[in-house]
Amino acid sequence: MRSQKNYDAIVVGGGLVGSAIAYGLSRQNLSVALLDEGDLAFRASRGNFGLVWVQSKGDGMPQYAQWTRRSADLWPEFAEELNGVLGLDIGYRKPGGLAFCMSDQEFEDKQTMLERMRQTVPGGYDFQMIGRNRLKEMLPEIGGKVVGASYCPHDGHVNPLYLLRALHKAIQGQVDYSPNTTINRIERHENIFTAETVEGPVRAPKLVLAAGLGNRELAPQVGLQVPVSPLRGQILITERLKHFLDMPTIYVRQVEEGGVMMGDSHEDVGFDTSTTVDISRSIAQRAISYFPKLADANLVRTWGALRVMTPDGHPIYDQSDSHPGAYVATCHSGVTLAAVHARDLATAIARDSLPDEVGKFTAERFNV
Amino acid sequence: MKTVDLAIVGAGPAGMVAASEARGHGLSVAVLDEQEAPGGQIYRAVEAVAAQAPERLALLGEDYAHGRRLAENFRVSGAEHIDRALVWQLEPNGLWYLRDEVCHELKANRILLASGAIERPVPIPGWTRPGVMTAGGVQILLKSSGVVPDGRVVLAGNGPLLYLLAAQLLAAGCRIGALVETVPYARYLEAVPHLPAALGSGYLSKGVRLLRHLRSSGTRIYRNARDLRVEGEQHAEALCFHAGGHEVRLDSDLIVLHEGVIPNQQLTRALGCVHRWDDGQKCFRPETDEWGNTSVEDVLTVGDGAGIGGALAAEHAGRLAALEVARSLGYLQTRERDRLSTSSRRQLNKLLQGRRFLEVLYAPPEERQSPPDETLVCRCEEVTAGQVRTAVRTGCTGPNQVKAFTRCGMGPCQGRMCGNTVSAIVAETQGITMEECGYYRIRPPIKPIPLAALAAAEVDCELDDVAQ
Repeated sequence: MRSQKNYDAIVVGGGLVGSAIAYGLSRQNLSVALLDEGDLAFRASRGNFGLVWVQSKGDGMPQYAQWTRRSADLWPEFAEELNGVLGLDIGYRKPGGLAFCMSDQEFEDKQTMLERMRQTVPGGYDFQMIGRNRLKEMLPEIGGKVVGASYCPHDGHVNPLYLLRALHKAIQGQVDYSPNTTINRIERHENIFTAETVEGPVRAPKLVLAAGLGNRELAPQVGLQVPVSPLRGQILITERLKHFLDMPTIYVRQVEEGGVMMGDSHEDVGFDTSTTVDISRSIAQRAISYFPKLADANLVRTWGALRVMTPDGHPIYDQSDSHPGAYVATCHSGVTLAAVHARDLATAIARDSLPDEVGKFTAERFNV
Repeated sequence: MKTVDLAIVGAGPAGMVAASEARGHGLSVAVLDEQEAPGGQIYRAVEAVAAQAPERLALLGEDYAHGRRLAENFRVSGAEHIDRALVWQLEPNGLWYLRDEVCHELKANRILLASGAIERPVPIPGWTRPGVMTAGGVQILLKSSGVVPDGRVVLAGNGPLLYLLAAQLLAAGCRIGALVETVPYARYLEAVPHLPAALGSGYLSKGVRLLRHLRSSGTRIYRNARDLRVEGEQHAEALCFHAGGHEVRLDSDLIVLHEGVIPNQQLTRALGCVHRWDDGQKCFRPETDEWGNTSVEDVLTVGDGAGIGGALAAEHAGRLAALEVARSLGYLQTRERDRLSTSSRRQLNKLLQGRRFLEVLYAPPEERQSPPDETLVCRCEEVTAGQVRTAVRTGCTGPNQVKAFTRCGMGPCQGRMCGNTVSAIVAETQGITMEECGYYRIRPPIKPIPLAALAAAEVDCELDDVAQ
C-alpha cells in the first residue's frame, strides 16, 4: 500500500480521530502516512452511538465545552464536504438534541447545571428546558413518566460508520493508508521520527498518536503520558421502524434507515466487548420508558465497544517537550470532535503547534 | 433459575442421542429447540407424521422414518425438552432463551451446541426474487404440512439433498420440469480416488438409486451448468444458464436452489469459539477435539454444526460428546468412557471417510465464491457483490470493516445468509486465504427478540445504574 517511506507526518490510528487528523493534514498539503490496525481491532469508531453532542459536556471544564461547541459549529460544512466525497448522505442532521428528565428533581438539577454552564462557557451556551406538555407536542410518542427535557440546538447526529467511510474515501490517493500495521518501536534521530513496522520503517518529522487505547503504550516512547483506560458501553438496535423520532436524544436515537439505537452504559470491565443481559435489559427498560411503543419492536443486535477514557473524561491533546514534533490526540468523542480535529487541530499541527484553545488539555493536569 | 449438568441446544439427531446417552449415566439434561417436537431439520415433525399421516411417512422414505426411534428414546430418557425455545444469548455457563415471548435463563455446567447445518447460500443474480426457494425450504413445507409445489418446478444446484428432494417431490406427485446440475465435469475425476471409501458407506448406492429413479421419471437433467441467473421482474420467471455449449432458458414458476449445507456457526461464533476454514468442505467450522470440546471451556459442539457429517454421523458424535461430558463431570471414569465409545467411534470414522467422495464431487462451483458484481449478497440490507469489492478496495481488510462500511450483515439474519460469500469476496479481492480473512463477529441476539421480553427478563443482580 505504501508508495514511499518518507513523509511530512505519520498518523497512528485509523479510527475517527486519526482519520480526521490525517484528512486535515493532507488538506494542508502535507504528505501523510496513516498506520492502522486490522479487522478485529477494538475500534471504538465502529461501535459508537453517532451523536454530535454539545449539551452538558464540559461542566467544570469550560474549555472542553467551548471546544465541543466549536466542532458542532463546524459540522454542517464538514458534513457537506464529506457528502460530496462519498457521493452519499452521511446522515448528518442538526435538529438539536434532547435529554429526558424522569423526575422534577432531575429537571431542576439539569436546569441548574446548564445555567451554570451558560455563565461560564466562553462564547455562550444555548439551551431550553422543555416541560411535559410541550414535549408531548414535539414527540407524541413520549412515555407518561417523562416529566420534561433539556433541549440544546447545537446537538445533532450522524451515521458514524458512513463518517468513517467518508474520511477513508476522502484520504484515498492523498494519504498512504496502511491497515494491519503493528508498530514495534518509535524512535527519533536528527528531528525525524521512525516508526518500525513489520513492513519496514516509516519516517517523518511529525508524528501524531491517535491510536485510542493504544496510545497508552505508544506515548511513552516519545516522552508523553496518556493515562487512558477502556470504559465499555453497550448499544442495542431494533429492526427498522417507521420514523417517529427525528431528533437525537442522549440515550435513544432513530437512525436514517429506521432502526432505533439505544445506549449507553458505562462499565469498567477492561478489554471486554461482550454484552450482558443485565445491562442490555436496563437499556431496554429505559428506552421503553421514554417511548412505550418500542416494547413491540424487535431487537436485532447488541454490541459492546470500548470508550477511550481519561481519568476526568476530557480529551488529552499534548505535544512532547523531549521529542518535538510528536503529538497525541485522544478522546471519547471522535464523532462530535471530528470536524474540529480535521480543521483547527490539523491546521495547528501542520504549523507545528497545538491550538491555543486546547492549552488546558495536556496530560499534565493529572500530575497533581 | 435452575442449573443442569448439561444443556443441549438443538433436538436433531446429535442432540437427541446425546441427551438420551447423558441421561443414561445419570446427568440432569435440558434440550432446547426452536421446533414444537424433537427431530431437527432432518426428522422434522417425524412423530406427528408417523402418527397422523403414514402415507407421507412412506413418501419421505426410510431414512426419514429412522428418526422416529431417536425421538422415542429421547422422549423416555427423562431429559427435559424445552420446545419452542429460541436461544438468543450464550455465556460460558449459561444461556438465555425466549419462549412464549418471555426470556428465561438456564445455567448449565456444560453446554453442548448441536444446532446443525444451514443451507449454503447460492448467490446468483436474481436469487432473492420471490419464486426462488431453497431445497430445505421446500422440504420443510413437505414434512410439516404436506404442501407440494405446483406449476413448472426447476431444481438447480448439486448435493444429496437436491436429489432426495427430487425423489420426494416425484413420489408426492409433483412434476419436475428439469434438474440443472452445477457440478463441473472435472469434479467427477477428482472424486474418483475417494470412491472406495464411499462404496462402504452406503451413500453411493442411495445416490445411484435416486438418480435412476429421477431418470426413469423422464425428468430432464442438464449437466455441467454454469453462469446461472434468475430472470424476471417482480417474480422469478426463468432460470438461465450455460450448459453443453448452449444458452438455456427454462421458464419456471418455482426455482429451487441448493448447493449443499454448511455448519450453522452463529452460536459457536457468538461464544467466541475458534473456527477454522475447512477447505475440503468449503466452510468454516469450530475447532474441536475428538469428543467435541471447543476452544471455550465447558462448551462442546457436535453434529453438522461442527462440520458436515450427515445425520447418522451426528448420532455417533452426539453419543461421544455425552460420554465425554459424563466423564468430565465425574459420572464416568475415563476408562469407561473410552470403552463405551469404541463402537460409535468406529462407525463415525467410517461414515466420515465415506463422505469425502461427496465433498469433492459436490464442492460448490468456483463461480459461487466470486459472484458477479450485480448479485445481491446481503438480502437484509441489499448489498451487492460489487459494493463489497469496492469497500475492500478502499481499504477494508476484513468482513467486519466491510460490515461497518456497507451495512452488509447488519440485518435481522445476523449475516447467516451472506457471511461466507462476503469472506470469500474479501479473500479473493485481497489475495488472502479464507482462514486469514476470518468471519463476522456474531452478536446477540442470535435471532431477533421483542424488546419488551428483554426489558422483562429476570436477572439475578439488580443493576439500574447504567446511566452511571
